[in-house]
Amino acid sequence: MVIVRRVKPLPYWIIPIIALLAGIAVSMIILYILAGASPAAVFSAIAYGFTRPGVIAKIFIALTIVGIALLVSFKGSIWNIGGEGQITFGMMAAAWVALFTMLPYINPGLAQASMIILAMIAGGFWALLAALPRAYLGLDEVPVTLIMNYIAYYIVDLLVYGPWRGKSTYNYPRTDTIPSQAMFPQIPGTTMTWDGLFLLIITFIGVWYLLRNTSIGLRIKILGNNPNLLRSSGINVPLTIILALTISGLIAGSVGALYLGGDVYHIGYPIESQTANYGYTGILVAWLSMLELIAVPLAAYIVSALYEAGIKYQTLVGGNLGGMLASGTSAIVDIFIGSILLLYTILITFSEYKIKIIIER
Amino acid sequence: MAAEADNAKPTFLSPPQEGKQPIVSLRGITKRFPGVIALDHIDLDIYPGTVHALLGENGAGKSTLVKVLYGIYTPDEGEIIINGKPTRLTSPAEAINMGIVMVSQSPQIIDRLTVAENIILGLKKYKYFVPVTKVYKTIREESKKVGIKIEPGIEVWRLSYTQKQLVEILRAILLGAKVLLLDEAITYLPIEEKQRFYKFIRKFADEGGTVVLITHKIYEAMDVADKITVLRRGKVAGHLDRKEATIEKIRKLMFGERSAEITYERLPTATPEDKTILEVKDLWVMGDFGGYAVQDVSLEVKKGEVLGIAGVAGNGQKELIQAIMRLRPVVKGRIIYNGEDITRKSTYYLRVNGVGYIPDLPAKYGVSIENTILENIAVLPVYSRGIIDWNKLRELTLKLIKEFEIKTPSPDTPVKFLSGGNIMKVLVARELTVATNLLVAYNPTRALDEATAIKVRKIIKDKVLKDKVSAIIASEDLDEIFQISDRIAVMNSGKIVGVFPADKAKREEIEHLMVM
Repeated sequence: MVIVRRVKPLPYWIIPIIALLAGIAVSMIILYILAGASPAAVFSAIAYGFTRPGVIAKIFIALTIVGIALLVSFKGSIWNIGGEGQITFGMMAAAWVALFTMLPYINPGLAQASMIILAMIAGGFWALLAALPRAYLGLDEVPVTLIMNYIAYYIVDLLVYGPWRGKSTYNYPRTDTIPSQAMFPQIPGTTMTWDGLFLLIITFIGVWYLLRNTSIGLRIKILGNNPNLLRSSGINVPLTIILALTISGLIAGSVGALYLGGDVYHIGYPIESQTANYGYTGILVAWLSMLELIAVPLAAYIVSALYEAGIKYQTLVGGNLGGMLASGTSAIVDIFIGSILLLYTILITFSEYKIKIIIER
Repeated sequence: MAAEADNAKPTFLSPPQEGKQPIVSLRGITKRFPGVIALDHIDLDIYPGTVHALLGENGAGKSTLVKVLYGIYTPDEGEIIINGKPTRLTSPAEAINMGIVMVSQSPQIIDRLTVAENIILGLKKYKYFVPVTKVYKTIREESKKVGIKIEPGIEVWRLSYTQKQLVEILRAILLGAKVLLLDEAITYLPIEEKQRFYKFIRKFADEGGTVVLITHKIYEAMDVADKITVLRRGKVAGHLDRKEATIEKIRKLMFGERSAEITYERLPTATPEDKTILEVKDLWVMGDFGGYAVQDVSLEVKKGEVLGIAGVAGNGQKELIQAIMRLRPVVKGRIIYNGEDITRKSTYYLRVNGVGYIPDLPAKYGVSIENTILENIAVLPVYSRGIIDWNKLRELTLKLIKEFEIKTPSPDTPVKFLSGGNIMKVLVARELTVATNLLVAYNPTRALDEATAIKVRKIIKDKVLKDKVSAIIASEDLDEIFQISDRIAVMNSGKIVGVFPADKAKREEIEHLMVM
């Protein structure tokens, strides 16, 4: 048996699909062995998840936007693991507009727009703080952005437990619910909001244009392959790094506003145990897309369907597994996503290499 | 030099090896890549105790053939026969086990480790605990045997390129090499060092070893090989014995009808204007590992002339060129470009003000091989600021592809799929287009075969003559310096040791100054 480098890599969509199918199969086996779950029930839950676009729309939109955000920095080989912190910061900024300004009562439309824009600025700022040491000191962005997620959590916790604690929350440490004028209007028959759909379309087109037609996009793509070429061409490499990470943070930040204004309507305490973890799940989406922008919504659809399948399975089976599913993100979702990501990581080798079995004569 | 010395006696020649069994035979080796046949039914016999040169122009299939021999590529068709037995090589480790070891043009050793540490890394006979002194002793003994001097305790980054290549060879021998594959391993060495290598190669072959010398320089093959095989467009163009080989014959085989274009005559001398385009004043620049690599250098380039900087590799040319391009800080002194003091200005300023730059090691510093040809051209700030006009750039790219005869299916092909020579052409084409005022280059043609290199030099010189562009070209290849320059500055140990008008300069004098 020998491993040979492929002359031409496989088309980029083959490996994600194989990983997806194999990951679902592995999850079924794990659930069967650990909890005696019947594969048929798991399968019907998955089928449910995939056939309810209206139900998964909310998760789909959030994951697509985060996936696109991370794609921007990943294209430049800048590994933004801090989507979660940038979302949290965005949520904080949006909450400030909704709870502590008069804007919602004066002009709801303007209030919602300000929530999104301020959330973007806050997310971008949080990413910028990690980008500066990366650009000028060469400090690895992976641990920095990861650690900054927790700093963001605790800053928000501090606010929510202290000055931002609500007045009508029966003394629970959480913020008040945002005024109804600041809540994003839902699209009837779905779980998504008009604001979310609008933001998704703008982000997709904007990033498509950025990467395809602008010098910043081109420079980010070359940064990911050979920063030496940027240097000898006279292009400011630190600035390109800062742009890649900050644009990524800006986009991720907007998801914070969507999550607050279209989903939870308040910030709970402690936030780290109530987050939807979009910042981390988004990494899976970006990876499954093989860093192809067109494939991001597809990957997001698959992941959000599995998300929904995990939750559906709880209602189908209940009982023993119910306990496992009590926490914010269900254990089954984690099993699905973990299996797929692991298999993907293993199988990706085969897009560039193939195994040949040679029989000696 | 040897390039023009047609029927000069080969420097060394071993007795004929007729009647022996070949140590390596290739039969019908074929390797295809998407859209091209890199190797087309190659037959080749290599005999023990010979130096066998593989010659070919860029993209002829030399590199692919070596990779097949070293187990990096497996052929699609054909057979490799080693010592009479059909063998399948699927990795370099297997090739090394069979006694086939490759030394490539870029040293594959680790800079931060010592020579001894680097050598024991690959050796199986040294297990986890080895007394350093014992290794030192072995290395000293072995290196004496092959006639080279290496201090085993020295860290590799302190060594020159030549010394690193020596370490590579020593390691190959300690690995038990019976067949040494030298893939352009000596092409970039200074002349005297080359002579020493030739002696070593001869000795190795005389003692029963086999050397396969892969090169695009004809005189290298003529100097040391017993047998010469010429590749052209993936096929064997001919096998020659050294005794019957002449430069004309080989050129015909290598380049076909293009061989007539090869000449080392000086290109027409320019008549520069009185305006100074680039002035370097008392410049001091640091090297990578401390110490001044450039010491008190002053130079001047007039409008419409080529200043060649001759010198043995590692004498500060790289640092000087990088300082001019503002890619390396200046400690003392000034650089003035077009009347403007640029000592504190950025590379960007030069790039948008008519300066083209061809760096050494193009695949590392000059292009991004994962990106397409189009993107590699678009990246320059003169072509892309804000919104990119792809239509215009595509037109320009197509024009350059045609003008420079870049062999590629389309402008959207990633550069990594091009041959070394074509990658170089992409870079040269791009930089000549932006060099409306000054071209700064370091070894602009070293990856190219004779015919292409001469063509590139002609294009550069044409541009200088016609458009009154200035050029400063540092090169380790004296043929190149003499062919293209109007004035020659010689650099040695970080200093300029002499400046001569090229038409009156004497080759011996310059060679002497280079190594003084």
